[in-house]
Amino acid sequence: MAVPQVPNMGSRHLLLIPTLLLLLALPVSQGRYTDDFDDSEDLADFDDNDFAEFEDMNDDQAADAETASPPHASQSSQPEEDEDEDEATVELEDSQDGFDDTETQDQDIYSKYDQEEFEGIGDMEKTGHSMKDPLIIHTVPAHLQNSWESYYMEILMVTGLLAYIMNYIIGKNKNSRLAHAWFNSHRELLESNFALVGDDGTSKEPVSTGKLNQENEHIYNLWCSGRVCCEGMLIQLKFLKRQDLLNVLARMMRPTCDQVQIKVTFNDEDMDTFVFAVGSKKAMARLQKEMQDLSEFCGDKPKSGAKYGLPDSLAILSEMGEVTDGVMDNKMVHYITNHADKIESIHFSDQFSGPKVMQEEGQPLKLPETKKTLLFTFNVPGMGNTSPKDMDTLLPLMNMVIYSIDKVKKLRLNREGKQKADRNRARVEENFLKQTHAQRQEAAQTRREEKKRAEKERIMNEEDPERQRRLEEAAQRREQKKIEKKQMKMKQIKVKAM
Amino acid sequence: MSSNNMADPRRPNKILRYKPPSTEANPTLEDPTPDYMNLLGMIFSMCGLMLKLKWCAWIAVYCSFISFANSRSSEDTKQMMSSFMLSISAVVMSYLQNPQPMSPPW
Repeated sequence: MAVPQVPNMGSRHLLLIPTLLLLLALPVSQGRYTDDFDDSEDLADFDDNDFAEFEDMNDDQAADAETASPPHASQSSQPEEDEDEDEATVELEDSQDGFDDTETQDQDIYSKYDQEEFEGIGDMEKTGHSMKDPLIIHTVPAHLQNSWESYYMEILMVTGLLAYIMNYIIGKNKNSRLAHAWFNSHRELLESNFALVGDDGTSKEPVSTGKLNQENEHIYNLWCSGRVCCEGMLIQLKFLKRQDLLNVLARMMRPTCDQVQIKVTFNDEDMDTFVFAVGSKKAMARLQKEMQDLSEFCGDKPKSGAKYGLPDSLAILSEMGEVTDGVMDNKMVHYITNHADKIESIHFSDQFSGPKVMQEEGQPLKLPETKKTLLFTFNVPGMGNTSPKDMDTLLPLMNMVIYSIDKVKKLRLNREGKQKADRNRARVEENFLKQTHAQRQEAAQTRREEKKRAEKERIMNEEDPERQRRLEEAAQRREQKKIEKKQMKMKQIKVKAM
Repeated sequence: MSSNNMADPRRPNKILRYKPPSTEANPTLEDPTPDYMNLLGMIFSMCGLMLKLKWCAWIAVYCSFISFANSRSSEDTKQMMSSFMLSISAVVMSYLQNPQPMSPPW
């Protein structure tokens, strides 16, 4: 605060001004003007007295302005007290009315206290004070902000879920359309060949349902039965998981195609004993490792079918050459060559029992149940991007299946072939029994050894020497008995041999 | 042979009923995805509830959706619904306890 230059002032007044300043500044700076000015009557009286004292004196009126401004200045340091600021300005304006014209020319310093500039003074004083007491502006916590932008992660998540649901609906519909397109194109052929087309096994009467069984959003079944030669035919339409977005994304990395799997089961008298497979090289290699019957009966590596006119992409697994000759007649070769891209594998077997089952240790296995079966796996063209029209291209393959059924019924091995086949089967059975027998023997052996060890331990642990001797004698007697028994058996066998 | 070609190959007297293939015989052929996803979903939703982690709860919702999409029609819908409800409740509880938005890991 600048000390005003007061030219015509006496020393008496010089002292009064600072004292007045002090007197005014103290209560004003401590007080808080939360109420109207009417409440702080003392201050008003004080102010009135001040004005009253200096009313006549021009110089003191200048001091008036000065004293008036510190209260205003200190008031302005409390920015919330707008009311009081206004009141103060009103009061000061009133007090300054008298000397505005005379004083403004002489004292430039007081120009800042002019009415026009009076409102601005609050800001100036404010900035002066803000440098002393810095205002800390706290950031409003995110959840109290009324903006959706802060929730962008949640919006992303919900969008992802919506995308998943959309994909589910679209994928489900596409698979359904493909399945029905397939069935519509094949319905006539199937209905002319089978008495029962479509059965879910639940109805009492064996009546054709005439529609596919939906097992999943991507697997459809159809059971056909009632024909010469075969017991029945199960067709599985294994589509890609178009309803699962994760699967869709995975397929972008590794494309796969829809598959149609056909399994025809035969009665015992309708099929001769042979094992045969033809298909893509990859599929043949995999099947030979996985399938129980192919691994046992077709030991050799898959052979090329070039001898029969098959393309190089296909390979043959066969029990014996005669079987291959029998199956690969002209028509079959014609079918396979024309649709080689759609054929994944064709597997004829009288010893079909499914893929190899992992054996558990120490468990003797029964021979797995076998069934005379024809298995066909076809790839739908399009590599995932199939349209319902592509289903028509699979119709010739179904014709091939029907032809194969009739052919297998007629196919009979000659005497040599039959003998070979029987020998093969006997060999496999023997091997199997040996394996399990060996396993069982091993198990029995280990049990016997454990018993002996336990006995010996007991004998060793026995502290009493007499008991020890008795136990040892008992063990010896038991062993002797066993030896005698064995000797008896050998004698009996010898006698029988003789 | 020719008579076969001319004649109708259908034999109504040879009809065999459909028997759904037993899954006990070939457990390896079954797709384990819906069961795994169900389990994962439950684990994540429990984590989200106990540890108050929002991202766990969201992943649980996704897992239950994936499990539902891959499920077989023969499967119990009650199981699906229960895992779904659990994951939704995990999300809701995480947000009730802490309404602040999820912060990205980066």
